[in-house]
Amino acid sequence: MPGEVFNPNPTIFRTEKPSSSRLAQKRSLWIDEEENTDIDEDNDDVEAIDQDEVFDLIRYISDPEHPNTLEELRVVSAPQITISGNLIKVEFTPTVPHCGMSTVIGLSIRVRLLRSLPSRFKVDIVVKPGSHQSEHAVNKQLNDKERVAAALENPLLVKTLEGSLEETNRRGRTD
Amino acid sequence: MESTERLVRTWMASGRDEEVRETASEIANGKTTLLNVVKALGEYLTSEEDGVRTKGVEFLSSVLKLCPPEKLNRQSARVLAKFYCSKLEDFDTIIPALKGLDTLTALPSFTEEDVLDTVNAIFKHVRMKALAQNNRFLVFTIIDTLMARHRDVMKNMNDSFISQYVVLAEGEKDPRNLLVAFAIARVVLIEFDIADFVESLHDIVFCYFPIMFRPPPNDPYGITTEELRLALRRCLCATPLFGPLTLPGFLEKLIAGSPAVKQDTLETMSECFPVYGSALAQSNARKLWNALKLEIFQPTDPVTEAKALTTTQDLVKTIYSDNSDGQAEDQEIEGLAKDVCEECITILREPDKSQAKSAIKVLCAFTSTTPAISRYTLSQTVPHLIGLFTRPDDTSSRPSVLLLLSDLISAARDDCMEKAEGSEVALTPYKDELLGILSSGLKTPSSRQPTLACLLGLVSTKNLLSVEEIGFIVHNINEILESDPQDIDDSSSPIIKLLSSITALSPHHIREQTLPLLFGSLPDRAPERNAAADRVKLWRTLSALSTLCTEPELFETFVIRLLTKLDLLCFPAMADADKEPAAAYAHSILTTIYQTVLAKAEDGHADVPKYIESLVPRLFHLFIYSAFAFDNDSVANDPKLVATGGHIITVIVRSLTQQRQESYESDLFSAYMDGNFKNITEGQQKIPPSISFRPFGNSTTPAQRNIVSLFSAAIIGLRKEVKLPVSDTSVFLTDMLDWSLSKADNDLQRTAVWQAISSISNKRAEDALTFLQANLEAFWSNKIVDHSLSSETREHAVKGWIWISKALVVSNHTMSSSYTERLFEVFSDESINWVAAKGFGDIVSTNDILTKQNHAIIKLLYAQKFVTKLLPRIVDGAKDSSKPQEQVAHLVALTSLISSAPKALYSHKMSELIPLLIRGLDLPENAIRVKVIDTFLAVAEGGSPDKSLVSEHAPSLVNTMLKNSLLQEMPSVKVRISALKYLGVIPDIVRSDVLLPLKVHVIKELDKALDDPKRLVRKEAVDARTSWFKLGG
Repeated sequence: MPGEVFNPNPTIFRTEKPSSSRLAQKRSLWIDEEENTDIDEDNDDVEAIDQDEVFDLIRYISDPEHPNTLEELRVVSAPQITISGNLIKVEFTPTVPHCGMSTVIGLSIRVRLLRSLPSRFKVDIVVKPGSHQSEHAVNKQLNDKERVAAALENPLLVKTLEGSLEETNRRGRTD
Repeated sequence: MESTERLVRTWMASGRDEEVRETASEIANGKTTLLNVVKALGEYLTSEEDGVRTKGVEFLSSVLKLCPPEKLNRQSARVLAKFYCSKLEDFDTIIPALKGLDTLTALPSFTEEDVLDTVNAIFKHVRMKALAQNNRFLVFTIIDTLMARHRDVMKNMNDSFISQYVVLAEGEKDPRNLLVAFAIARVVLIEFDIADFVESLHDIVFCYFPIMFRPPPNDPYGITTEELRLALRRCLCATPLFGPLTLPGFLEKLIAGSPAVKQDTLETMSECFPVYGSALAQSNARKLWNALKLEIFQPTDPVTEAKALTTTQDLVKTIYSDNSDGQAEDQEIEGLAKDVCEECITILREPDKSQAKSAIKVLCAFTSTTPAISRYTLSQTVPHLIGLFTRPDDTSSRPSVLLLLSDLISAARDDCMEKAEGSEVALTPYKDELLGILSSGLKTPSSRQPTLACLLGLVSTKNLLSVEEIGFIVHNINEILESDPQDIDDSSSPIIKLLSSITALSPHHIREQTLPLLFGSLPDRAPERNAAADRVKLWRTLSALSTLCTEPELFETFVIRLLTKLDLLCFPAMADADKEPAAAYAHSILTTIYQTVLAKAEDGHADVPKYIESLVPRLFHLFIYSAFAFDNDSVANDPKLVATGGHIITVIVRSLTQQRQESYESDLFSAYMDGNFKNITEGQQKIPPSISFRPFGNSTTPAQRNIVSLFSAAIIGLRKEVKLPVSDTSVFLTDMLDWSLSKADNDLQRTAVWQAISSISNKRAEDALTFLQANLEAFWSNKIVDHSLSSETREHAVKGWIWISKALVVSNHTMSSSYTERLFEVFSDESINWVAAKGFGDIVSTNDILTKQNHAIIKLLYAQKFVTKLLPRIVDGAKDSSKPQEQVAHLVALTSLISSAPKALYSHKMSELIPLLIRGLDLPENAIRVKVIDTFLAVAEGGSPDKSLVSEHAPSLVNTMLKNSLLQEMPSVKVRISALKYLGVIPDIVRSDVLLPLKVHVIKELDKALDDPKRLVRKEAVDARTSWFKLGG
């Protein structure tokens, strides 16, 4: 157990059902083709990586302090992700301005995206402006390649991060 | 006597078991006595040499062990007991003496008089620390035996026994010995007067708590942690006197322990509280609650949290156990329950916060403690939550309040369930207010979901709501269905769940209020092709209707309304130019009917058979009218619709009794064979009697031929006792098979006929014998082997063949092997070998036609027999490279067979199969590759690195899968997805040292898959890559 608890009683928000919006865009006329339309062999459309997909990757990261996901605590949300070309910007909101876990949360987002997005993307991870007392320092640390690499050399930290990322594969499964 | 002496001498020299056995059997036969043995041993037992004395006693003990108990009389037992006790004094004879006592104490001739001496001798002379683990075990076993057989003697000893036993048992470490020691301790704690020894007994018991024992690998005694835990727990909760001593210890372990220790402590506490008593729990209540609170409000894991809640319940139950009889009903609740309730209610003032969830869990737990506490909790919490909801200044927290409320309602309901019928329902005093806020909660979209959860809780509470109140709820929900049709999308499932739980209670509300609304929202004409949203809404309405209308009286309305809708769609006054949307709409209605009938049949509803009189004739009418009499091309001519209609017919026909099936079948055959369609049809549109209804005839349109599939559908569901109403079944089947090759022109027609043939061949093989035998010669050579026929016809013939083979294999018919054998003969025939090879999978796989529901004859283990018989041969063929054409066919057969057969039938051969399956991944057909990879996935299920079946092939598997997962090399999305799935599983089933050298390469390659154009592929790529990242820590 970590010694200090920065926010013992955070607000829990209700979460949306995972990406239900895409389901309604189904093109088939026939009811029983519902399940198969997603895997359409003849369809050559490129489905680009979008906001929702990136959000799907990070919504189930668990908070290092609570048994809740980042989505439930509204640390991350889909509108806080922007994609332009090969640049992705992810903004996150610590639950309290003095949260000492912000760097860990940022790092877990960093690691998750490092592993799950094609290498052509450059990812910027920043704290929501005005939401943290040492905003600048946290941002700097999260976007400095060397410092991220150094942090990932620390076995104890890596263990914490792996713990946070344990549930992330839940994404997109509707249950 | 002489022989005894000889045996003793021999044994002293040899130490073999034979002499022991021989001596024992001589005693058993009465040739000698134990006394003689002792006499013969005389000199050895008193020898100066330590080793000789040890051996002497050893021999006696060994013989005693094998002796029949009745050969030992009271007198000799007494002598032996004395003898052994004296031998305990001698260090060199202790161990064999203990062995002897171990046997002796269990004998009936060992009586109370000997007990005292024995026990005292053990206490006096045995020094446990000087003995090895297995010898200490003897000591514990002796005491345990005496405890079981002569407990009173020891109870009389009381003080002296306890004080000496404590010394004896102290410091024991061996798990097997501890199990016995705990059992002894429990008896002492419960039955002895321990007042003066509480502390010392506590010391020899509590020092083991919590049990941290991990059984070593290959433990010969197989002692488990759980056994020890339970045995120790039974000691700890054996006496209330332990209470003051153990509680502080428990709290200490709870705070400092690992999750496993916490859980053990919580469980132990739960069991101890009732024994330690109400007073002690009360005086320690605050301390205990503070410790438990930590586990609930800042839980380490969900299991510990749940256990902490249970322990809290047990604590409360114990504290208030005295006044649970209901006399104290009107008394004010004081003490812990009141404090905790107040504490939790204060936390609930911030319903959005995470602690509110924990607080409601505590309050929910309180509802199933004592009736008084439950009443008190609800009387405090429900009004409080209602108050929070109605706070005018803060409406944003309403959803959270309702969510908390729904948990409480479910908890109160579950508590009601456990109580006897007729007892008062705890929520009754609040139901008016609750319904009030809930009906307002329904109106706000954001609070709708939690409101529905609350309502579901209320509705499912027995004896809570009146019929009028349920009507009120239905009314409110209908308002949402009406006013916010868009909103149904989101909340349809909970709404429907609520409504369907109401259908069971009071169907008339649903029938009169909700169904008209839902039917009314179904349009008469199909939505336009591009109106996807309307279509989704329509499907949702249909699926809602399907869920709601399974009850008999609702189902009747459902069928009538939907059939009317179908008529409108199929025979519109003015046909649309684009027919597909209407066909799709009609098809979705038919599918809905099918799913509902199927669900009813599976639940064994008794009203299914009666629809042979209404629904089935209406369906026949619809399709026959469309194909034979309607001027325009009706949408009902679409093969998909006909097929779905057929499914409904099958389900209803198979539910009929044998007699009704027979009479129905004669009508059906008379219609299809002689054109008397009147008896099987019924409907509004008039079918002119002049039409010639000859679906099997020569001059038919494709739409008319499709109607044959309805005929088959009815045949498939026949019971095996039902004889076909034809003069010769074989002739009939031969004609059908011919028709499928000569006249049928689409897959619907062909497959339908084959299925009917297969079904009859399976159930009535006797009638079909001529047909089955003739096929093997005539049909085979004329339709399959004959190269002059088009390869298409030949392929169809093979497929028909496979359907017949399947019928025979499933019923273990003697002819089945002749049929399957033939398939191998065409493996070299380029135009049909793949079709034939794939058939092996089709034959063994389960399907919807030959099922128990359809009354098919299915023999046990038919798949096993089939696979065991053919697999070795197919494997050999796949390895034999002398004939490449046949080798490939064998490989195809192998992949198809394996991917259809249950895993258990081939997993033992996996090492031989894997290289072949990997080659299967090079076959040019993507569908085969998907099957192969799915087979690998099936094999991987439940696997672990220790017993991996694929370890040695891991590198080549990884490379093949990588190749199949990248867009550049594999155009098929399905293959890419399966390959990535398997890549993701590999790290779980192969040892990491095998995979680590590949890690960098795999992660680099998977980076490309992360950029796949398809979202679903990317998803699998992310999962696969994540699991490789985790590899090696």
